[in-house]
Parts: sequence; structure tokens; C-alpha cells
Amino acid sequence: MPAIRSHASRQKKPPEGFEDIRDDLEVFNIKMKDAQNTPTNNVPKHQAQWPIFQISHQRSRYVYELYYDKEAISKQLYEWLLKNGYADAMLIAKWKKQGYEKLCCLRCVQTKETNFSSTCICRVPKAQMKDETQDVQCVSCGCRGCASSD
Amino acid sequence: MLKSTYQPSSSPLPPLPPGWTEHKAPTGHTYYFNQATQTSTYTRPASAPGVVAEHNPHASFQQYSAVPNLADPAVANAWQAQYNPQAQTQPERPRFGGRGGHHGAPDARNRPRPEPRDKPRSKVAIPGCEPWILVYTKYGRRFAYNPVKKASFWRIPEKVMKRILDLDIQSIQEKAGAVVKGDGLEPIVDKERQAQAVVQEELEQEQEQEEFGSDYEEVEVTDEEDMNAREVDEDNEHASKRQRIEDQDQPFPVEFSEEDIAFQLQAMGADYGLEPGEYDDGDPSAWPEGAEGIPLSDVDTQNLFKDLLSDYGISPFSPWEKIIEDGKIVEDPRYTVLTSMKARREVWEEWSRERIAVIKERRAKEEKRDPRIPYMAFLQEKANTKLYWPEFRRKYKKEPPMRDMALSDKEREKWYREYVSRLKMPQDTLKKDLTALLRSIPAKDLNNKTLLESLPPQVLADVRFISLDPQTRNPLVEGYISTLDPPPEVEEVIEDETVRKSRHERAKRERALADRERVVAEEKRRQQRQLAHGRAILREEEMELERAMRVDKKGLQSQLMAVREKDSESNH
Repeated sequence: MPAIRSHASRQKKPPEGFEDIRDDLEVFNIKMKDAQNTPTNNVPKHQAQWPIFQISHQRSRYVYELYYDKEAISKQLYEWLLKNGYADAMLIAKWKKQGYEKLCCLRCVQTKETNFSSTCICRVPKAQMKDETQDVQCVSCGCRGCASSD
Repeated sequence: MLKSTYQPSSSPLPPLPPGWTEHKAPTGHTYYFNQATQTSTYTRPASAPGVVAEHNPHASFQQYSAVPNLADPAVANAWQAQYNPQAQTQPERPRFGGRGGHHGAPDARNRPRPEPRDKPRSKVAIPGCEPWILVYTKYGRRFAYNPVKKASFWRIPEKVMKRILDLDIQSIQEKAGAVVKGDGLEPIVDKERQAQAVVQEELEQEQEQEEFGSDYEEVEVTDEEDMNAREVDEDNEHASKRQRIEDQDQPFPVEFSEEDIAFQLQAMGADYGLEPGEYDDGDPSAWPEGAEGIPLSDVDTQNLFKDLLSDYGISPFSPWEKIIEDGKIVEDPRYTVLTSMKARREVWEEWSRERIAVIKERRAKEEKRDPRIPYMAFLQEKANTKLYWPEFRRKYKKEPPMRDMALSDKEREKWYREYVSRLKMPQDTLKKDLTALLRSIPAKDLNNKTLLESLPPQVLADVRFISLDPQTRNPLVEGYISTLDPPPEVEEVIEDETVRKSRHERAKRERALADRERVVAEEKRRQQRQLAHGRAILREEEMELERAMRVDKKGLQSQLMAVREKDSESNH
């Protein structure tokens, strides 16, 4: 049986500057694999995917900051990273919009999936919460609050 | 019922022969010392029958009162033992370390308990005063020992005291350091302060001990005696001690007051470069001036934190979470100069931005190096015919030449295979190939000025070059280079980039100046022409005016005549 080849673009050599961030991305990769392989027997069902969301968010944030904040990587490398799944392009697209600078995951702004057709609890600013002392984690990704004003 | 097997030692024993004295070791054993022969023994010396009766303390005192030098502690010990033999023979429960100061029940005083023996366990050289060593015993006590003079002292002599204190502080700090490495959460500064506090505590204890003179008492035990022998019977010794102090120069301050300790601590702290606030946790008002430390400004704290980040070799590309999770920087005291995590993160962001900019700049300046060169050098070093490519790749996958992204794995494999197959070829072919390679290099790159260390990249990145080992290759290459012609002249003509640039700019400037001059001259000429033109116009106008001003009779008449002529013509 022939070896399964992935998309041609993945075979492409990464652009200049990938060596600088390769080790850090590798750390994220390992973490992600660990998170995927941990058994979720004792975890509530809705919490099973939280670590995966968190790591994916962190990695996307890392790539986003390298490109937009610190300007540490070239455009080619940024695009290569997006293409190769090192960052979530849809999530980054949201971060560029006002009011969504810290968005935790795309599910949390998806109003159609909720009962009252509203966003997730983590999108509510801390100041507007009725019970401020309570530590709320959202159901979809375990976010504790990602409003821009927090 | 159990019967005690103990037999009181004092009464049934025969008295000692003259010259022998009885002593009490700190372990509770009695031993016997002969001043005349300088010997000691645990077994009670049997007295000659005639002598026994004569022996009495006063006689012996008189005998030994002739000893002139009581400043010698050994002599003094023996002497005082002689002076008061009855008290000396009384069994006394030894006290260990002087820490507790607890005495047993009163009835226990009458007979010695079977005491465990104390033994020297470890020794430490005292840095600074060389022959002296500090010996620790099994029970944690210690004494200073001079192997050259063969003298040991429970009470540590003054000249060694300071070094021992230094040693103590050092060991405590080491311990504290080990603890810091162990849990890694508490800042080191606190540890140091703790260590200092411990030292101070010890000092205070020492002072107490000195007050009742139990532990650090100066008792010399000569080497022939048991190392552990010492005298603790303070009640018996009071008189003799006083006398001794009168006799000799006082070698150490008897009163070690609070100020002395404070002073010594400060001196020690200064030696270690500590801030007074770090070793003295007493009231801050007593600290010398400036002890509280200068309050750090914001810029200072930020710079400190940046230094910390730079010192630990942290990649500026790494995410913040990774740095914190690694926890390397957390242990550093500079980590706490910034109080909040948010501030730290901000400073880190600034720092990483700066560092990335620096790195980028440096890379831009750096010339592009052929990625094949390090790989080829690596191949020559590691590859051999016994390893297949997959094995080789797996074995060295962490090496930088194997991870270089500029080369693809396919290329690497190709070169590996080529190299390994070349290794099997005979040397002659390899040499021939190498000369062919060298010949193919143009004279511009390879000529008799080329050094062996700076061969052109075309050569270095070629499999033919690395397939010979350096011992045979280098003479070959050198020989070839020496036969070459000097570099072609063209190379000399090519100037340095900067020189050319500057000349170009200069030419540009000169051209610009000439342009400017030309423009100015033209302008001047134009102005002069305009001036001349204006003058001409003026002159003309003046002349016209002058003509107009010249009105005479002839002019009027002629005009009248002209009118008349017109009239006459019209009449006709």
C-alpha cells in the first residue's frame, strides 16, 4: 500500500525564520498530544475538551502575537503556519475585530447554538456580572472570562 | 530483683602513685595522666607499695608548684588536677555540648551512667589558618585541632574563631541553598536572612555558653591522650581557672556582649557583600546608614528583570507561559523586583520585542552561508559505512545540521549515500576527484593567496572534498594552491564597497555644485540683460520726452500751414 501523502503544501519547506520558533511550537505539539491522550473517564463530559481548546488558543495566540504584535516572523512564515494548522485563522480573524481582542474560542460567540440565542457567559464583562465573586467557567472551553474590558 | 553491679570507685581503689593524676573524660570515663612522662591511660596505674601512704594532695601540690609555666593549658590542666584531686575523683555526669544544661536526677550524680563514647567523626580544614582543623565528633560537638603542635582545644582559640564563624555561615548558606533548589519557591533573599538569623542564634548560644563557660572551654588535650578527653567540672575548676586567667594574657574577650555580636555580624555581612537588612532581622533603626537599601526606580526594576531574562538564555520567541512553566527565572531574586505578574509580562513583552529586533538586524548583516557546508562537515565527522541512512538520521536527528530547514531530507539522504559510497572507494580515485574539483574552481576564487582555512564555499560544500580525511587532504590542497597563479588583476581593481560609495557620493556632490554654479551664472547673465534692456527703454523714453519738450515757433507755424494747405485743397 502506498504511503498516504498529505496535502502538497505541507511538503513545502517552511520559510525563513521557522527555526526560531520550531522548538516552542514543538512544545505546543507535545502538550496537545498529551491532552488528546489523557483519559477522560473521571472528567465531566462537557469538560473533556477544555484542555484541547486551551492549548489551541494558546498556540494561535502565540502565532498571532509573533506576527502582529512583535513582528518577529515574516508574512510568508505566518501564512505557512496558518496553512499548516499551527494557528486557527478564523479565531485570529476575530481577534482583529474590536470587542473580540481576547476571544477564547469561536463557539463562545456562536449565538445560534444557545438556548436563549445569546453568547457564552465568558463574553460578559466582569463588571456586568451580578455575582462577581463567583468564578464561572464557560461550558464550551472552560474560559473564565474573555471580554475585552476584563 | 536486679542488683546493681556498680561498685563505687573512689573508696576501695588504692591511691595513685605520685606524678599520676586522675581526670574525667567528657564521656564519663576516668583516665590517668602522668605529667612527668606525658602519658595517659585508662587503666589505673598500680602504685608502688611504699609510695601509697605518702601521697597526699599537698605534697603533690608542692611538687608541682615548682612548674613555672602555667600559661601552657596542658600544664595548667595537670596542675589543677593535682591541686584538687579529691574533687577531681568525684564522679561527675558529663554534659554534652552544653546545649541543654539539664542535670539528671540528684541520685544519678553519685554514679556514672554507662555513657556512649564520643568519637571524632569528620574534620574540616579551617581556611585561612592552615594547620588548624575543625574536628566534629559523633555527638555533634567539635574542637579545634592543630596537627603541627598536636594540640586540640574545645574552646576554640580566638585567632581561629573568626574563620570558624565564616565557615559556619558558609555551611548554613549552602544548606539554605540546597533547600532553595529543593522547593524552589521561596526567594533566596529570605533564605539568606534565615541563614543569618541561624548564625546569630548560634552566636547568642555561644555567648551564653561562654557565660557559664561550659562548652568552649579551653582545655588542651595532647595528642597522646584520648581526643575526647576534656574537663567539664566547672565547680572544681573555678579557682584554678581564675588563676590561669591571671597568669596568662587573656587570649579572648571573656565578655562577648551584644554589641560585639552585632559588630561581628556586620563585619561578616560586609564580607559577604550582604545588605544589613539581609542578615539582621532585628529592629531596622539599629542598622547602619543606608542599610534599608535604596528604593529601586521603575526603570531599574524593569532593567533588572530584563537582565534576568537575558541571563537565563531565554529565547525571545518563546511564549510567556513556557517561561513561567519552566520556572528557571522564578528562583532568581530579581524575579521579585516586579511585584505583579502583569508587570512582569509587560516587561517581558518589551524585552522580547527589543531582542527580536536586534536578532533580525544581526541576521540581515550576516552573510548568507551555504547550508550545505555545515552538513558536509557533519557528515565527515559522523558518517561511516556501518550506518544506513535511516539509522544515521535517527541517531543524529537532534543535531543542528540535521535539523536545518534549508536542506530537505531528500537532499541530505542523497549526499549521505554518495559520501558513504565514496568512503569505500580507493584513495587514489578520491585524490584524483579532489584535484579535478580544485581545478574546476576559477582563479578568482582559488589562487595562491587563498588560505586553507578560507577555501571557497564551492569546495567546502562538495562531497569530493570531504571524502578524503583531513590528514591526507590538507597537504594535497596546500600543494595545489601553491602551484596556482596569483589572483587576477581584476580583483585588485574592485574596490571596497565603502570607498566606492564615498567616491560616488563625492562625484555627485561635485556635479551638483557645478550644476548650481551654471544655473547661477545663467541667472546673473539674464539679470544683466534685463538691466541693459531696461536702461535702453529708459533712454528711449527720455529721448522722446526731450523731443516732445522741444516746442518752438517754427513748429506751430508749420502746423498752421499744414491746416491751411488742407483747407485750400478742400476749397479746390
